[in-house]
Amino acid sequence: MKISPLELLLLEMASGFYLGAFVLYLLEVLLPRPTRVPWAPVTAGVGGVLFQSLAIFIRFGFQGHVALLSLREALSFFSWSLVLAFLYLEHQKKARILGLFIFAIAFLSTLMVIGISVHSPLFAATAPIGFLLSLHTILIDLGLASAALSFIVALLYLLLDFFLRRKIFNRFFSRIPSLETLDQLNTNFSGLGFVFLTTGLIFAMIWSWEKFGTTIPHASQGRLAFLGAFLVWIAYAATVLLRWSRRFRGKQAAYLSISGFLIFAATIVALALFSKGSHFIL
Amino acid sequence: MIKITLAGVNHKTAPVDVRERIAYPKEHLSPAVRLLAQEENVLECLLLSTCNRVEILTITSNIHPDPEFFTRFLSKTHPALASIPLRPHLYYKTDSEAVEHLFEVTASLDSMVVGEPQITGQVKEAFEICRQENTIGPYLSQIFQRAVSTAKRVRSETAISHLPVSISYAACQLARKIFQDMSNKSVLLLGGGEMAQLTARHMKKMGVRSLTVMTRDPEKGKVLAAEYEAAYASMDTLEEAMADADMVVCSTGADTYLLTVSVMEKAMERRGYRPLFLIDIAVPRNIDPDISRLANTFLYNIDDLKSVVESNQREREMETYAAREIVRQELAQFQKWRSDRSAVPLIQALRRHTEKLQQSELERFSRTLDVLPEETRKQVVILAQSLVNKMLHPTYQTLRNSSNLEEAWEWISRCYGLSPELPSQEAPLQRDESSSAEKQSSVLESPQSSFPIPGEQSC
Repeated sequence: MKISPLELLLLEMASGFYLGAFVLYLLEVLLPRPTRVPWAPVTAGVGGVLFQSLAIFIRFGFQGHVALLSLREALSFFSWSLVLAFLYLEHQKKARILGLFIFAIAFLSTLMVIGISVHSPLFAATAPIGFLLSLHTILIDLGLASAALSFIVALLYLLLDFFLRRKIFNRFFSRIPSLETLDQLNTNFSGLGFVFLTTGLIFAMIWSWEKFGTTIPHASQGRLAFLGAFLVWIAYAATVLLRWSRRFRGKQAAYLSISGFLIFAATIVALALFSKGSHFIL
Repeated sequence: MIKITLAGVNHKTAPVDVRERIAYPKEHLSPAVRLLAQEENVLECLLLSTCNRVEILTITSNIHPDPEFFTRFLSKTHPALASIPLRPHLYYKTDSEAVEHLFEVTASLDSMVVGEPQITGQVKEAFEICRQENTIGPYLSQIFQRAVSTAKRVRSETAISHLPVSISYAACQLARKIFQDMSNKSVLLLGGGEMAQLTARHMKKMGVRSLTVMTRDPEKGKVLAAEYEAAYASMDTLEEAMADADMVVCSTGADTYLLTVSVMEKAMERRGYRPLFLIDIAVPRNIDPDISRLANTFLYNIDDLKSVVESNQREREMETYAAREIVRQELAQFQKWRSDRSAVPLIQALRRHTEKLQQSELERFSRTLDVLPEETRKQVVILAQSLVNKMLHPTYQTLRNSSNLEEAWEWISRCYGLSPELPSQEAPLQRDESSSAEKQSSVLESPQSSFPIPGEQSC
């Protein structure tokens, strides 16, 4: 099965818009004066997300079911959900500076999706994966997007903490929101990521039990996926629980979020290397 | 031809002992403005007096008053100044330079602390006094409107006013980098030093939930607490108070550390490791600097805050380049308005002259024209008018766009056989009508006209 030229075109358009939004946010940071067109980067982001939504629907339409099985599909959905979450935050006027990172990631992700599509345009049509696995893939992808947001917010927190301690007052410093805002966002995204991850894993285990009669898959890839997912889950569970115990605030919570995302991303990449285009745990 | 002239003395040209003698007390401003308006050739005038400057702006007909005119006026209104030679301290600017200077003053680009907000209000106040004395006409109205517009643009389009340059305000701005919502934060004021009080006042303005004053002398502390609508707590309850506070401003005369690492460790545990912002303005310091190594504590001493202020001042200086570009744009707009307005009497004179010529030529041919039917005669008159208008149009344009009207008029008057003397402009009597016609009430009533924000470099 070959990738649709329309889907490719839409992805290219989306990546162009994401690049535009990234450049506009970068200019906001670099230029000393407030911009006269504060709506421009958001508009570019909305344009990008609309084109990517169409591309994702076309992919789902071609497959006839929720298609988040390959790295290409997962990456596309990941960048889409990341941008969507940011647009919500932007609407809430929480952290405009996040746009700089979100659109950089979204642009690189869509560029990778295009690269994979161009270099290996032929791929096997997959059989419908069923309701449970569809939910599992969506939730894990949303979990990854939340973890990525939490990771970016945590990085910003550490950066601002560093600036405040070293008494560095530059333009970037003035653009970062307060430590309290960043800590709150980190808590929210970590919590959200934990919920997505937990429910995603529960659906995978139910599916595995239905199919193989066991909650832990037999295949080596499946076991690896389970191990990775378990480690990520532990990291996020620790974040949430330690926050509840009130000892892990600010800097410590930021470190935990960063390590949680790195384990999450490493697990996904490791599985992608083994999977060769099909679903990681199949 | 209308002439704009400005002379003044400010913090850059005169020492404080001259400035303090030259400044007009508020109650003396109106009589001084009246006196200035009575001077020969003065059509409109503005007198601005603050602690750092006295500026006199005049609109005159055909000639610029010389610097001596201004020194004479200043000496006349300040008898105590007679013994001081004013000329070395006086700057003197004409036409576009004068207007540009006033725009820069209003936008706070010429202030001692660049970007301070009071000066715009002070210019508005001076304008209002002059308006009440009927010394404002169309030119000063236009200059004032553009000056206020420049100030607004500079404040909104550059970061010049966003960077605090006072130590107490810088501390509050830093607090905003740590805390999102100040309405649920509490401040502990340790000691009653002047700087700490100023910081506390700023924090109160930021809307903090509570303020607690703690001093070694309970009497002094209670008075201070009453002044800031704060609670008073004894020094013995320091550890408990630390558990509740989100910001601590320390400014006592103690010569040892009041807050040590061990005290802070306990306090942080009690407060669930919530971030704590510590400001140590005392010299010698009251907070152990090692505390800054603890997680979620941010300690700033007087030198750190000074470095924030210096960095902001440098940033403000950088922003002045962008601000001066705005001044140039507004000045260009004013120059266009001025040249349009200055060309009007010349265009009128030229039109009167050509109409007279047209009329006399029509009369010369009246016998020939009289035999024509009525309709055709009318057509001939229209043709003559149209020809004159078409031929004069480029001349009108030249006058409107001319940067040197006198030179342009000299050439045009030669071509058309007119008097080379410039036709007269508005007479002083027109002042009242025009000023009432162009009252800038909307500008004065705008929210921008609110006067100085209290707490910052007020005079």
